[in-house]
Amino acid sequence: MQDAICLTNVSKDYPGIKALKNVTFSVKKGSIHGFLGPNGAGKTSALKIMAGLLPPSEGKIEILGLDPKKAKERVGFLPETPPLYHNMLVRDYLEFVASINGVSRTRLKDALAETLKKCSLESVKDRLIGNLSKGFKQRVGIAQALIHCPELVILDEPTVGLDPVAIQDIRDLILSLGKERTVLFSSHQLYEVGLLCEEITVINKGEIIHTGPIAEIQKKLQTGQSLKIELSNWRPELKEELLRTFAIESLALSQGKEGMILNVVAKKQEDLRQSLSLFLIQKGCQLYSLVEEKMELEEIFNHLTNSSLEAK
Amino acid sequence: MSFFAGVYLLTKKELKDLFSTPLIYVLTALFSLIIGWLFFNYLILSKDLTRLSIAQAIVNPIFGNMHFLFIFLSPLITMKVFSEEKKNQTLDLLFRSQIRPLQIIVTKILSSLMASIFMISLTLIFPIILWMSGYKEVGVFVTSYVGLALTLLCYTSVGVFASSLTENQILSAVISFCLLLGLMLLVMSSNASANPLIGEILSYLSVPYHYEPFVRGMIRSFDLIYVGSFVSFFIYLTSLSLESRNW
Repeated sequence: MQDAICLTNVSKDYPGIKALKNVTFSVKKGSIHGFLGPNGAGKTSALKIMAGLLPPSEGKIEILGLDPKKAKERVGFLPETPPLYHNMLVRDYLEFVASINGVSRTRLKDALAETLKKCSLESVKDRLIGNLSKGFKQRVGIAQALIHCPELVILDEPTVGLDPVAIQDIRDLILSLGKERTVLFSSHQLYEVGLLCEEITVINKGEIIHTGPIAEIQKKLQTGQSLKIELSNWRPELKEELLRTFAIESLALSQGKEGMILNVVAKKQEDLRQSLSLFLIQKGCQLYSLVEEKMELEEIFNHLTNSSLEAK
Repeated sequence: MSFFAGVYLLTKKELKDLFSTPLIYVLTALFSLIIGWLFFNYLILSKDLTRLSIAQAIVNPIFGNMHFLFIFLSPLITMKVFSEEKKNQTLDLLFRSQIRPLQIIVTKILSSLMASIFMISLTLIFPIILWMSGYKEVGVFVTSYVGLALTLLCYTSVGVFASSLTENQILSAVISFCLLLGLMLLVMSSNASANPLIGEILSYLSVPYHYEPFVRGMIRSFDLIYVGSFVSFFIYLTSLSLESRNW
């Protein structure tokens, strides 16, 4: 698959600050890509460079195979603060944005109707932007990024500061956008990124810590299978026996509601579920549940950002 | 998108913005009140000053006062043109569009100039009153209005530059006012200068030096060249200021 965005060794220096350090990553065409990082990590600088608003200090950037400045017309961008004229009507504003982006008069009406529908703004199209709720303002911000039908949409923290209903609406909108174009969006809400994307790029202190499919990162970070077993009739001597019989990295015990909870992490990439459950039943334990645990995105993020700090 | 199509699109929006806020109407009312009261006084006084012509007794001082008032008014008209765009982050929206920075700057100057012309258009009642009283020399009014419009073009370009420097509208107005006052004070410095050449250069650089001949009924080519160079210089400074966002 061709790349919609390709950054190679991109750096950005501000006076006294190195905001980006040799950033290299790519976003596949037609995908929804999450750009993760804590506040001040360099997300906004990187997104502004990709949107053609900031020149990089060093490095090579290709947006849809072009220089960011030349690709501007094919990219829709929503900055962290939506660029809105508060004294304009929603419809007038979108018409104005479409006109300055070269949408022809003949196409304007259709483009406007299509965008209003897509962003569910039909009910407020004749209202002043300044009088809208924050959720609707954010939608108008997204609508201005879509009105000229760009192939790539870059959204900088599109759900920040919204109420849960508005957040869900924006997420649905991003998912629907992902069906027809490439979407890159930044967030520090890890749960959200997990819901919307298959691929992520994690940035911290201006450096890319990891980039690739979420599943791949999970696999890479987890040394062996992690199992959570809830059981009763547990005997302390079974711990030694388990460690002797199976290749177990760690074994932790805690008190659960109905009995003991056993957290087991295997040493190797082998499936212990069947053998372990059989062993425990043979030893007289009563199993209530046995679940394989995947590493949550929050854990991945913490793991990645902490290890990047430790490396320094 | 052609240069003029872009300028037309933006100017339409800018004028809508300008005339949808109360500021322009408040300033127009204030300006009309002051200048109307002054005109009335000059009219009454002109009965006693029999040695002076109508042009000397009324037209010259009234246009001198209009010019002086706009040293205060121009910064207020232009203070928000870029400051507000910066504050609302809408400048990036314009820069990401097909509109070029030069088109944006020209539009800002043009729309502010149109607002200023709207304000002075109400003073057209003065020549009508004088004409009805028997003063038929329309030419001096024409050159005076042309001179005032060109001077306002200069002041607007200074104001737009000041607005591009900061997000704060008040600070933008103060910078603009200081620059305009400095330009006016150049005339005084030229009078105080012992060296006639330096005095002449300082006079040439000040805006009022080029405005006066218009009020006296003269249109000189080098005054027009001065206005062109002045405005081009401030357009260049504004584009540098906007570009500095990327430094």
